[in-house]
Amino acid sequence: MSDGDFLGVTDVSKWYGDDQVLHDVSFEMDRGDVTVLIGPSGSGKSTMLRCVNRLAEAQEGSIRLDGEEVLSPDIDVDDLRREVGMVFQGFNLFAHLTARGNVALGPRRVLGLSESESRERAAAQLDRVGLADQMDSYPAELSGGQQQRVGIARALAMEPKLMLFDEPTSALDPELIGEVLEVMHGLVDEGMTMLVVTHEMSFAREVADEIVFLDEGHVVERGPPEQLFERPEKERTGRFLERIESHD
Amino acid sequence: MASATRPATVRERVADADRSVGRLLLVAAGALFWGWLVVSWVNRWLGGVLVPVGQPLVPAGAVEATLAALPGLAAYASDAAFVVELSPDLARGTWLTVVITAVSLVLGFFIAVPLAVARVYGRFSSWLSLGYTELLRGTPLLAQLFVLYYGLNLASYVPGALSGVFPRNVVWVAILGFTLNGAAYQAEYIRGALESVEEGQITAGRAIGLSKLETIYYVVLPQGLRYAIPSWTNEFVYLIKYSSLAAFITVPELYYRADQIASETFRYTLIFVVTGVTYLALVLTASKLMARVEGAVAIPGLGVEREE
Ligand SMILES: Nc1ncnc2c1ncn2[C@@H]1O[C@H](COP(=O)(O)OP(=O)(O)OP(=O)(O)O)[C@@H](O)[C@H]1O
Ligand SMILES: [Mg+2]
Repeated sequence: MSDGDFLGVTDVSKWYGDDQVLHDVSFEMDRGDVTVLIGPSGSGKSTMLRCVNRLAEAQEGSIRLDGEEVLSPDIDVDDLRREVGMVFQGFNLFAHLTARGNVALGPRRVLGLSESESRERAAAQLDRVGLADQMDSYPAELSGGQQQRVGIARALAMEPKLMLFDEPTSALDPELIGEVLEVMHGLVDEGMTMLVVTHEMSFAREVADEIVFLDEGHVVERGPPEQLFERPEKERTGRFLERIESHD
Repeated sequence: MASATRPATVRERVADADRSVGRLLLVAAGALFWGWLVVSWVNRWLGGVLVPVGQPLVPAGAVEATLAALPGLAAYASDAAFVVELSPDLARGTWLTVVITAVSLVLGFFIAVPLAVARVYGRFSSWLSLGYTELLRGTPLLAQLFVLYYGLNLASYVPGALSGVFPRNVVWVAILGFTLNGAAYQAEYIRGALESVEEGQITAGRAIGLSKLETIYYVVLPQGLRYAIPSWTNEFVYLIKYSSLAAFITVPELYYRADQIASETFRYTLIFVVTGVTYLALVLTASKLMARVEGAVAIPGLGVEREE
């Protein structure tokens, strides 16, 4: 089990208005770990992810990343975000920039690399996700799978120490899911620390060090995949997994 | 593209032929109009190198004689000669119309962008922007010009550096008025376009560590301003026509000159038809120009691709 050296989420609670959407959520990750968040729609998976890079503000609890308190008022949020990459369900590519432009923007404007350095870095990252031949294409000219790979390259170009994936394959046609998962498998092999929200159970089963099952903002159960999938302790976990697996 | 290898259908060929005839006529008319304007202006700036300042580029008598000799056109010979006679004045007025419109539009744009950004992304500044926009859009433009000119008497405060540029300082007052007013309208169009940029892209910008302002600058504006072009073109066209209100604060632009000549000669119909055609030519030029700009900056793969 992880001892939470790298990421320690402790009793995080979050409200939207009067609605509490996260209830004392806790889990830990070591460097190089892959943790998969699962749970029904509206259970707070995206919100939990967004609390980690402060796109959403948790009201209570603690999130320690590499020794620093993320929820501290003193940290520079932009500094935090440059170290934490995020990949979105809807890709969210910058529509007016080519694939290369999308990936180069962060290195150029956030990391302050020169124009040519940032373009080179973008080229390298696009190559890494198998898009060396699509560098000059605009998002609207790419398939969903290609767009999402650009999205991954864009996050990787910041050389993050943690990657957040929010349902990276949910918006994709079934035949395009594979190419994105393949890239993610590659990252796992390289030892990237990844916190992933997904309904791809086979991916979770294969690569996750730990699965966290969220329901209505509560961590119902968490554990290594073999335990959670084969011998869930809670009845709710079992029911959810049955429902998901029958969809596959 | 793919269409290059596919033979055209008969229907496409006929449509293409029609289109190219129409385009040819339009281009010819445009070239004639702008040729006349630019040569007239240059002639005046260079102190009458081609014809004495104030004289038409071609002698009115010659035009009249030529037309009189042509069957069918003879009836229009004297009208045509009259129009040729007043063309130097129209060209002069059109110069001011073009300058006032262009300068006000550009200056207004630089006010409109921050106004629109404040409106969409500001808190307190959003209210300021709203107040400004509503005030300027909610009151008559002519009243605004009167306040600036008669009320505040701004023409007498034009700074020295600017006061030599135009024959009359009131031109600057008109430019100020149209800039302030146009900025409010432009801001509305730009605001609408900024709002159409997907929220997710802003989130993505923030997620790689861009600040809110950087995200607006690098992500939202480059798209929003492109999307604003069609509606922004409306403001361009309106401004060309509304610039005629400057005549009411004695700016000798196109409408002012036409009105002056008409009241001296009483040939109202002919003069205002010609003036109207001149405004139409300016408006068509503006919309064609903006359509080109829109095509040139279009994001590949999004929306309609440019023909040709
Ligand atoms: N910006 C917001 N303002 C108010 N409520 C929100 C906001 N974002 C999310 N919520 C609410 O918080 C709860 C958790 O939402 P969240 O998006 O985190 O769920 P999720 O597990 O990611 O769901 P899904 O699988 O549908 O993506 C939901 O009830 C949602 O309606
Ligand atoms: Mg979600």
